[in-house]
Amino acid sequence: MPGQLRHRLSDALSDVRYRLRALFRRSVVERELREELEFHIDREARKLEATGLSPADALRQAQLAFGGVERIKDDTRDMHGISWLETFAADVRYAVRGLRARPAFTLAVVLTLGLAIGANVAMFGIVDQLLLRTPPYLRDAHRVHRVYFTSRDGDADLTEPTTEFPRYLDIGRFSRSLEATAVLAQRSFAIGVGETAREMPVGIVSASFWEFFDAAPIVGRFFTARDDAIPTGAPVVVLSYALWQLEYGGSPNVIGQTVQIGPGVCTIIGVAPPGFVGIPDEGAPVAYIPATLYGYAVSSGRGRVDYHTSYNWGWLSVVVRRKPGISIDAASADLTNAYRLSWEAQRTISRSLKPLEIAQPRASAGPVVLERGPNASPVARIAVWITGVATIVLLIACANVANLLLARALFRRREIALRMALGAGRARLVAQLLTESLVLGTLGGAAGIAAAQWGGAILRSLFLSESRAADVVRDVRTLAFAGASALVVGLLTGLVPALQAGRQALAPTLKAGVREGTYQRSRTRTVLLILQGALSVVLLVGAGLFVRSLYNVRSLRLGYDVDPVLYIHPNPRGARLSPRETADLARRLAEEAESMPDVASAARGISVPFWSTESTGFFVPGVDSVQQLGRFTTQMASAHYFETVGTRILRGRGITDADRADAPLVAVVSEGMANAVWPGKDAIGQCLMLDSRSAPCRTVVGIAENIRQSSLTKAETLQFYLAIEQLRPEEAILFVRVRGNAADHAESVRRRLQPMMPGAGYLNVMPMRDILDPRERSWQLGATMFVVFGGLALVLAAIGLYSVIAYAVAQRTQEIGVRIALGAGAADVVRLVLGEGVRFAVIGIALGSGVALWASRWVGPLLFSVSAKDPAVYGLVAFVLLAAAVVASALPAAKASRVDPNVALRAE
Amino acid sequence: MPDEKLDLPQGTLDLLILKAISLGPMHGWAISERIRDVSRATLQIPQGSLYPALHRLERRGWITAHWGASDNNRRAKYYELTSSGRSQLRIEADAWRTLTTAVGLVLDMG
Repeated sequence: MPGQLRHRLSDALSDVRYRLRALFRRSVVERELREELEFHIDREARKLEATGLSPADALRQAQLAFGGVERIKDDTRDMHGISWLETFAADVRYAVRGLRARPAFTLAVVLTLGLAIGANVAMFGIVDQLLLRTPPYLRDAHRVHRVYFTSRDGDADLTEPTTEFPRYLDIGRFSRSLEATAVLAQRSFAIGVGETAREMPVGIVSASFWEFFDAAPIVGRFFTARDDAIPTGAPVVVLSYALWQLEYGGSPNVIGQTVQIGPGVCTIIGVAPPGFVGIPDEGAPVAYIPATLYGYAVSSGRGRVDYHTSYNWGWLSVVVRRKPGISIDAASADLTNAYRLSWEAQRTISRSLKPLEIAQPRASAGPVVLERGPNASPVARIAVWITGVATIVLLIACANVANLLLARALFRRREIALRMALGAGRARLVAQLLTESLVLGTLGGAAGIAAAQWGGAILRSLFLSESRAADVVRDVRTLAFAGASALVVGLLTGLVPALQAGRQALAPTLKAGVREGTYQRSRTRTVLLILQGALSVVLLVGAGLFVRSLYNVRSLRLGYDVDPVLYIHPNPRGARLSPRETADLARRLAEEAESMPDVASAARGISVPFWSTESTGFFVPGVDSVQQLGRFTTQMASAHYFETVGTRILRGRGITDADRADAPLVAVVSEGMANAVWPGKDAIGQCLMLDSRSAPCRTVVGIAENIRQSSLTKAETLQFYLAIEQLRPEEAILFVRVRGNAADHAESVRRRLQPMMPGAGYLNVMPMRDILDPRERSWQLGATMFVVFGGLALVLAAIGLYSVIAYAVAQRTQEIGVRIALGAGAADVVRLVLGEGVRFAVIGIALGSGVALWASRWVGPLLFSVSAKDPAVYGLVAFVLLAAAVVASALPAAKASRVDPNVALRAE
Repeated sequence: MPDEKLDLPQGTLDLLILKAISLGPMHGWAISERIRDVSRATLQIPQGSLYPALHRLERRGWITAHWGASDNNRRAKYYELTSSGRSQLRIEADAWRTLTTAVGLVLDMG
């Protein structure tokens, strides 16, 4: 009934208004209440007077009949619905006063909590961005999926999130359970011309992509099926809001302007709304172009416009939206069916494709965020681990603060007992203590947000690419998380002391003197202490394992140098050059680079480790099928190639200037290939032929060391090198070896070479380190984060131990005095105190090692050639923790040994 | 006139107050007098619960209050039914009648 609903609403509103008035106009409300009750009594008295009583008697009788005015006032105030708030406010004032009275204690607690909360807030921001958050504007996000394609490859399943363009068309055609399908890919293109041209991520999407979002263009329009028509597509672009603001000052006149994107020129037709990022796989795209436009550009560059019919170029992710009421499983089954039909269609074109029974193609509707799916990067997995680590640090900090509060509560036992004796309810006292820890938690949360804001910037840049790193303070979700963790921390740290205070027996505490009343080893404190030690051990073991992994990765001989080498990709970008001109340009670029004083050497090649590898079929006289030995990769190398990249020639020679097109054909093979292809024979002088057995012989002139170029964890051995002048010199890219660190010279090399590029052409100059770093990123992150958090945990645990031991020594001054009086020496006393600290540490080490060993099977796969049970790491961690325990108890021990028995025994 | 006074069953106080002021704005003392008079002094509202109840009803939005001059020109706080209070009164009165009829039927059964 709408009338009923309206009443409900207006009632709720009046309720809020009423409470707010009671809260903020307290004096007015109080005065009115008093006046109202006085009026009642007065009116009653007048009635009684009318029956003949004297005014004084009438008033007295009216008052008597009315009852206790103050109690009625109290009861009435309770109805205002704000009394709990008033009590809470009083508790907060009380807590703040108490905390201000002990600034050192407060500062220690707030700093401890601030660091721990800050670490968690920063990590939450990262994990949220990487894994949790769904892309903004996505409509019916729960029904939107990315399609993951699985097929049998050898004896393992291979799952990929990318597929070919015709496959996307097939999925749309053969599936029944989908409401919409779209494709997307992301590439880096230079945007703009000349000096201002910069490489930026561009989204390549189908027209149907826009229907997945509740987003309207801020200016102009998004592209339609007509702009995204097979085969050519239209040269149009939709700008991101950020690029529009940055490059065009947010002017609506951009519509119709043209902009150079990569090799092509596109007309701007619209601008996406602020915050729109599509479905970004890495870094938010700055612009969006039609999928058919890119497909056409690439395949026409290869000489055959077949991207929409041939199944040999997998470059797209397929995104689908289920029809309402269709389950994920049903959608996956439907997708698998469509994939199988598509596979059959593909087999009619390419006969060599494995049949259905062997390939067993399957497709599934998975998470739209790539990092949540089966193809998540190690970085995402590490981020989840680090979040766990940050949580442990927070637990340690909580244990520490709880310990400090417990110590305080012990000192305050008498105060608390006294207040209980004076009639304060236990519930009130517990509420008061909890309020205090909530205030501490809130202060810690504020400090944490500050820590996450300043320190978290470093963290975020480690995990996220530049464009995705958001501000903590401006992110509502992260702030909400910070608030929630402050609340939880407040409750967690306050609970133990509050409960203990609530349980305390009154009479004995009040009767006891200071001495009896306070010294008591609290079991809770001991448990908390051991817990801290154990957790620190777990984190330090993690730190040790990751540091060793990183060290192993770094000291791994890849077969080439990384730090002094620059990789340069000349991009002629639309300038039409003949193969001969292109080859010539590369030669001149290499010569120019070599003429620079900081450059040791420069050379040409065609592939870059970890970026692109080439493989070419070849034949060897006397060997039936070399391909059976495994996958061979090849590089076309110019003179100086080997000394430039740092690959060692083990025997024979490398490629030289003499290996020209008209000179005898030569090859260099890897050590592994020499052993595999010509076992027991000398590879030098042997012959290999490309393409066919009748091709001319290329004589092996040298043997080079093996290199790793597709995986850091797996050794690769089968590689060979051909002279670039004798094969495909027009595909050259450049390697430059500088004196010193390549990154320092990247810009000067680029500036020197850029003027040689024709037209709008430009150079992509990149230190090899930048190519390798993402590969090592997961270990680097693991090592950095575990060391930082492990160190933090150790410091917290040591502080905790120190405070407990120091407290115990202070309380046992008398006992120690007795011992000294009875003849104990300083060394005995020191041993007594140190022994206690060491005992805690040993139990913590045992417990922590147990936990670490138990967790080792999950950490193992993240490490690099180090066992998750590495005894050296465990030993070192045990030593470090023991050392920390000794240091933490040394100060109190020294103090204990100086106890003067005379003073100690006379005290009290 | 019977001398005995009944304790109010739980929840009926609200109903009585709402009914009393449904006839026009009234201050606290007048409300208690009205209920006593009309019930022939059977129902005497304890002052201890009248004012908390009034303030609670006001908070819930069923009655509103304004200050006005009383018969001897003193300032008094007058309570008045709101429209949602009027519908609440109807609901509670119906419920009460249904309840008493039902209880009466049970008590009267042969």
